[in-house]
Amino acid sequence: MLALAFDVGELRLALAATCVVEVLHRRELRPLALAPHGVVGLLPFRGSLTPVVDLCQLLLGRNCAPLRSSRLIVLTLPHRERPRLIGLLAENVVDLIDGKRTMPGLRLPNVPWLGDHLADQPELPQLVDPLQLLPDELASLFVEEANG
Amino acid sequence: MHQSQLASRLSLLVAAFAGLFLIFGLTTWQTLEQVRVKGPIYEEIILGKDLIADILPPPQYIIESYLLTLQLIDETDPTQISQSVEVGARLRVDYEARQEFWKRELENDAMGDLMTVTSYRSAMEFFRLRDEQYVPAIRAGERDRARSILAQMRRHYEAHRLAIVQVVELAEKRNAEFERSAEDVVGSRSLTFLVLATAILMVVGFMALYAQRSARELSRRIHLAADIAHRVASGDLATEVPVSDERDEAGRLLKAIGAMTQSLRALVTRAKQASIELMSTATQFAATSRQQEATVQSFGASTNEIAAAVKQISATSAELLSTMEGVNIVAGQTADLAEDGQNGLRNLDSTMERLAQAANTMAARLAAIREEAAEITGVVTTISKVADQTNLLSINAAIEAEKAGEQGLGFLVLAREIRRLADQTAVATLDIEQMVKQMQSAVSAGVMEIDRFAEEVRSGVGNVVRVGGQFGQIISGVKTLSERFDAVNHGMRSQSQGARQIGEAMGQMIDGARQTSVSLREFNSATESLRDAVAVLKQEISLFNVGSDR
Repeated sequence: MLALAFDVGELRLALAATCVVEVLHRRELRPLALAPHGVVGLLPFRGSLTPVVDLCQLLLGRNCAPLRSSRLIVLTLPHRERPRLIGLLAENVVDLIDGKRTMPGLRLPNVPWLGDHLADQPELPQLVDPLQLLPDELASLFVEEANG
Repeated sequence: MHQSQLASRLSLLVAAFAGLFLIFGLTTWQTLEQVRVKGPIYEEIILGKDLIADILPPPQYIIESYLLTLQLIDETDPTQISQSVEVGARLRVDYEARQEFWKRELENDAMGDLMTVTSYRSAMEFFRLRDEQYVPAIRAGERDRARSILAQMRRHYEAHRLAIVQVVELAEKRNAEFERSAEDVVGSRSLTFLVLATAILMVVGFMALYAQRSARELSRRIHLAADIAHRVASGDLATEVPVSDERDEAGRLLKAIGAMTQSLRALVTRAKQASIELMSTATQFAATSRQQEATVQSFGASTNEIAAAVKQISATSAELLSTMEGVNIVAGQTADLAEDGQNGLRNLDSTMERLAQAANTMAARLAAIREEAAEITGVVTTISKVADQTNLLSINAAIEAEKAGEQGLGFLVLAREIRRLADQTAVATLDIEQMVKQMQSAVSAGVMEIDRFAEEVRSGVGNVVRVGGQFGQIISGVKTLSERFDAVNHGMRSQSQGARQIGEAMGQMIDGARQTSVSLREFNSATESLRDAVAVLKQEISLFNVGSDR
C-alpha cells in the first residue's frame, strides 16, 4: 500500500494513496464568509467547488507555513450514493511512502481520525482516517451547497 | 660839661653871624651913600657928559648942516663943493642914526612927539631940499635959484630949531624932577634900613637863646641814650627806655635803642631756648648715630649675605645657561625629526591614496560578484521550481499508478525514480542556494569591510594631512623656540654678567658700609664736641639778664 506523507506542525502524518485524487500547488482560494473553524475557502476543482480545510489551523490554530512544500491534497470520501471531494492544506507534502506494515498507535477518544503508525518509516507517520476527520453535517453542507 | 660845650659853640656861631651881618650892612650903606644921585660918583659922570656935550656939535640940532649950506652959497671951487656935500651927507646919516635911537628910547609923550615927529619932519624936509634942489643948483652955478631955495630951507630950519628948544626945556624940567625923587627914595630907604637892622639883631638874639636851650635838651637825651647803651653793653637787658613823643633825632635815637634792647632781649631769650633745644638735639644726634652705627653693622652683615646669594645666582644662571644650550640642541634635533616625519607622512599620504583607490576597485568588483550571485539565485530558484513541479508530477503519477493496480507497477517505479531525481535536484538546489547565500553574506561583509576600510583610509588621509600640518606647526614652533632660546641664552648671559656686577657692587657697598661706620664714629665724637660747645654757649647766655624768663 502506498501512502502520501505530510506534516502538521511537528506531527508526521500520512494518507492512503487510494483516497487521494490529486496533489496541487497551493493557490488562491475563493474566500468564504462566516466559514466554520478550519475552513479557509473554496477550491474550483474539476467543475465543482471543493471546500478546503487548513489542517494546521484546525489542529494547531495557526496558518500553514507559506512554503512551496505546503500543498493542497484533494481527497475523495465515500459518502452514500456518490463520493465527496474535500481539500486539505498541509505542510511538506513531497513524499510517497510504502505503508505495507503498520503498528497500532495510542487511540485517543477525542481524536478518532488518527489511526495506525507506518512501521517502515523512521518518523513513524500516523495514518489519518479522512472519514473521521470532519464532522459529517459540516462536510455534507458544503458539498450540497457546492452542488446546488 | 658836654652840654655847656655844645651851647657855647652855638652861641659863638650866632655871635660870629651877627658881627659879619653888621659889617655887611655898614659896607652896603657906605656904597649906597657913594653911588647915590647927586653923590660924588654921580657928579663925576654928569660932569663928563656935560664936557662932551659942550664940545661936540649936537647931531640932533642941524645947525652945522645949516652953516654948511650958508658957506656953499658963495663957494665956486668944485672940489670944495664936493667936500662940503660929502660932509653934509655924513651929517645927515649921523642925524638919521641918532633919530632911530631916540625913536626907540623916548616914550610917546609930548617931548617924544616934538623930538621924533615935529623936529624930524622939518629936518628931513630941509635935507631933501638941500640934496635934491640946492646942491644941484650950486653945482650948476645958478646962484639966484639957490638963494630962493635957501630961503625955503631956512624956514624949515627955523621950525626945527623951535621944536628942539622946546625939547630941551622939557628935558631939563624932567631931569630936575628925577633928581628930587631920587633924594626922597634915599632918605626913606635909610630909615627902612635902620629898622631892618634892629629887627635882625633882635632875631639873632632870640636865635642864640633858642639854640642854647635846644642844645641842652638834646644833650640831656643823648646822655640818657648813652647811659642805656652802657647798661646794655654790660649785659643788663632789663632796662626800660622811657617813652617820649618827640620825633626829632634824639627821640628817634632813644626809640631805636629801646627797640634794639627789646630785640636783643628777645634774641637772647630765643638763644637760650635754642641752646636748650640744641642740647637735646645733640643728645638725640648721639643716640641716633649710635643706632645708625648698629644699623650699618647689620647692613654690612646683610650685604655679605646678599653677596653670597648673588654668587649663587651667578653659578645657577651659568648652569641654567649650559642646560639651555642642551635644550636648544635637543630642540634642533626635534625639528629635524619633525621634518623627517613630515616627509614620511607625505609618502604615507600617497600610499593611502593608492590604498583608497584599491579599496574602491575592490568594492566595485564585490558589487559585480553580488550581482552574479543574484543571477545565480534566480537560476537556482528556477531549478528548484522545476524540481518541485517534477516532485508533484511524480507524486500524482505514482498515485495514479497505485490506482491502476498491477498495470501501474512499472510506472510506479518510474515515478519513484523521477521523484528521487527531483528530490536530489531539490537538495542540490538547496545546497547551491545555501552556498550562494553564504557567498552573498560574505560579499556583503566584504563590501562592508571594504567600505569601512575605505572610510578608515579616507580618515587616515585626513589624519595624515592633519598630522603633516601639526608637524609643520611643530617645526615652526621649534624654530621660534630656538630663536627664543637664543634670546633666553642672551638674557641668561646678561643675567650672569649682571649678577657678577651686582657682586662687585655689593663688595663696594661693604666697603662703603665700613667707611660709613668709621664716619659715624667720627660723627659721634663731633656730636660730643657739639654738646660741649652747646654747654659753653648756655653758660655764656646765662650771663645776660632778661628780667623775668619768658
